[in-house]
Amino acid sequence: MNKPMDNVAEVQISGRRLAGLVRLIAEHRVAAVIIFLMVFPFLAPYKALAIDVLIYGLFALGFNMVFGYLGVLSFGHAAFFGAGAYATGIAMVHFGVPWMPAIFVGVLMSGLTAAIMGAMAIRTRGIYFAMVTLALAQCVYYIIYHMEEYSGGEDGLTGVSVRTVDFGIATVDMMQDPMGKYYIMLAFTAVAIFLFSRILNSPFGAVLEAIRENENRARACGYNVLLTKWVTFVLSGLFCGLAGALSAIHLSVVPIEYLHYHQSGLAVMMALLGGMGTFFGPFIGAMAFLMLEDAITLMTTHWQLFLGAIFMIFVLFFPRGIWGSFLHWISR
Amino acid sequence: MTPTTTDIIRAEGVTKRFGKFTALNNVSASFPRGQLTAVIGPNGAGKSTFFNVISGAFPPTAGRVIFDGHDITGTPQYAFARLGIAKSFQITNVFPELTALENVRIAIQAMHRRFDIWTPRSRLTEMREQAADLLDLVGLRQHRTRHAENLAHGEQRALEIAMALACDPRLLLLDEPTAGMSPEETLVMMDLITRLADERTVILVEHKMKLVMGISNHLIVLHHGELLAEGTPDDIRDNDEVRRVYLGQGSH
Amino acid sequence: MSGITPDLLALQLFTGLALGSVFVLLAVGLSLIFGLLTVVNFAHGAFYMVGAYVGVFLLGLTGNFWISLVFAPILVGTLGLAVERFLVRPLYGRGIDYPLLLTFGLGLVLVELVRILYGLEGVPFDTPPLLRGAVDIGIGYFPLYRLFLIAVTALLVLALWLFIERTSYGLIIRAGARDPEIVRVLGVDISRVWLIVFAIGTGVAGLAGILSAPMRSVIPDMGSTVLVEAFVVTVVGGMGSLIGAVVAGLLVGVVVAFTSLFWPDFSDLSMFVLMAAVLLIRPQGLFGQKGLMG
Repeated sequence: MNKPMDNVAEVQISGRRLAGLVRLIAEHRVAAVIIFLMVFPFLAPYKALAIDVLIYGLFALGFNMVFGYLGVLSFGHAAFFGAGAYATGIAMVHFGVPWMPAIFVGVLMSGLTAAIMGAMAIRTRGIYFAMVTLALAQCVYYIIYHMEEYSGGEDGLTGVSVRTVDFGIATVDMMQDPMGKYYIMLAFTAVAIFLFSRILNSPFGAVLEAIRENENRARACGYNVLLTKWVTFVLSGLFCGLAGALSAIHLSVVPIEYLHYHQSGLAVMMALLGGMGTFFGPFIGAMAFLMLEDAITLMTTHWQLFLGAIFMIFVLFFPRGIWGSFLHWISR
Repeated sequence: MTPTTTDIIRAEGVTKRFGKFTALNNVSASFPRGQLTAVIGPNGAGKSTFFNVISGAFPPTAGRVIFDGHDITGTPQYAFARLGIAKSFQITNVFPELTALENVRIAIQAMHRRFDIWTPRSRLTEMREQAADLLDLVGLRQHRTRHAENLAHGEQRALEIAMALACDPRLLLLDEPTAGMSPEETLVMMDLITRLADERTVILVEHKMKLVMGISNHLIVLHHGELLAEGTPDDIRDNDEVRRVYLGQGSH
Repeated sequence: MSGITPDLLALQLFTGLALGSVFVLLAVGLSLIFGLLTVVNFAHGAFYMVGAYVGVFLLGLTGNFWISLVFAPILVGTLGLAVERFLVRPLYGRGIDYPLLLTFGLGLVLVELVRILYGLEGVPFDTPPLLRGAVDIGIGYFPLYRLFLIAVTALLVLALWLFIERTSYGLIIRAGARDPEIVRVLGVDISRVWLIVFAIGTGVAGLAGILSAPMRSVIPDMGSTVLVEAFVVTVVGGMGSLIGAVVAGLLVGVVVAFTSLFWPDFSDLSMFVLMAAVLLIRPQGLFGQKGLMG
């Protein structure tokens, strides 16, 4: 009888330590994510996976601003990821823009796409929003599909290559040096994570929480809820656009599938898997998703079956996601 | 009735239909500045509809609402707080998972920083102090750090009033502020309302006639969506029609 | 434009109506489920695909199109029944997004299961002998199968309308769409109504699947585009409105048919242009009630 009691006490003490650690991490969340991502390539099975975690973590992070913090489910974020990727690629391939400014072009274009889509979709409420954003994103898919001259149509855009990046003191060979490439991508991601955290922590971030909690009350307090939602949608689109832009440079190609609603589904699944409305959730979700995909596709070609089943299990039994469930567990 | 500058808000021929159902029919009424006016009436009289029209929750089918000489009919809901009109809802309406202090701070923030995506929230000390003062005013001083969902019903209603006061309103609209309250909570709330009415115009929609008779300066009685009577508590008390309507429904 | 005669236009109108019939079936099912359960069924396209494959299976088993046509929707509806009971029901009251997310995952699972059973390639589905060829409808020859499709859709919509408007069960459905509490107070088990409505909605999607099988290729991904089309039609018609689903389905079909006649490259974009116009002018859809989708 004594032994279990001791165990309980032990668990409680370590639980308290754990909670303290989590609080410390939460207080320095930007530094925590960046430090983790800096060492991550040494833990990952291979470097390409590490770069994917950066890109999809960022994609899910941007998506989470709308889904987790504002509390609105969008199924149209593929359009922002795709717009970022295509605009960056097209700027480089067809207009000879150097890669760095091309990334900015990509981010701006996805912001513009989000602004237009948002203006059309934002008046529709609740669950309807998911349908409308999905359909509008699919419209972007067909538009890009038909701009074959620029986008490559069904075959996607090819030839988005960055061979070397010259820093003056050092040169990174983007083709041969995956580590160098990873850290260049991380630099962009780190800036995005910092800005994201800053927005969440701002008065505007407080308004998002208020709208998620009680839209009517926020309106009565004097907030223009529609305009706030639209601005959030655009901000969220900018982050997803950066993810798409980085992806174009990483892969040297932009497949048309980036604009398909299944791509939006990836962001939805990663954000939920990691923990929606949590800061670390999207990166944890992206990591879990990609590593699982990697492991399962080694054994079977039917990864989608497992993915669908795992996602359903999370929706049914762990809607808080991995990180959210963990936070819930330590705060009991 | 000639509109005078002593009126803060005025409804002119307000009609509201929902489909075929007419909830309000051509109601004209004015609310004197600096006084506590109560809108009363039996169940289904159209009180809440009237409240929602003058507080901008939805526009009237016909008619106008004039606030301080300006036509505010159809003005979007979010603009009301900045005009100086605040309201509390009939059903408790707070941000459940935020602390009491944050609830009020958010309401104060709506007056200053709606789209500031850069300043860290920790720097908004002045706003937090103002919020704390408002919580003191409504008697929630000791509950600052509690989540709104964990407050008692009466405390949540008080919190709502603190949030309504955040925009320093010239006109405070309260929809059945004592609904669902215990007799003790009701007393505390009526006392608070009386204090608030010393400094600003208050319009109170209330189902229980007795409750408002003692504290209001002016009364408006609605019945079946129409204006039945208007006047001082004494006028209303002596009004045969009002008496008949209330007796017909069972006295409250 | 040369070669465009009034007869050709009229024929294209019929082509549009036939195309629209599939949209109508899809949107009616989606709208019915949404109107009552407030669930957006993201697996709707997958149920449509499963309907076509169950049709392929039954046709192989019996060799009879008509038996397949009757039983495929029933089997898909039964699958829908199980999905509502065991997967969707635990999520009621947990926030409107969860059933949607669940059905998204379910869609992935269903598509992959069919891939395992039937492979990635399409399987053939012949038009039944009785419905082959074309008939003269006064303005020219029109494929008989498409006429059949229009007729089946009209019959089904009529039957659904009679069921909802004229039967006591339909009365419960209508009341339940307005206020589930009232139905519960009247002593009716609302969860049974939801179960049956979900089954009907998915069954009709399955019917759309087997009906389109002879016209579109039967492949595991066939539901993917269809889901988007069903959403567009529902947005145009108005969420939860049956009349909206019918009118918008036919309208979208006709619009697509005419753009593919005049501007073939952009036929897949035309429905989105229509949707965008509706969203800007009437965000709740042509027949949608304001606030229904709250």
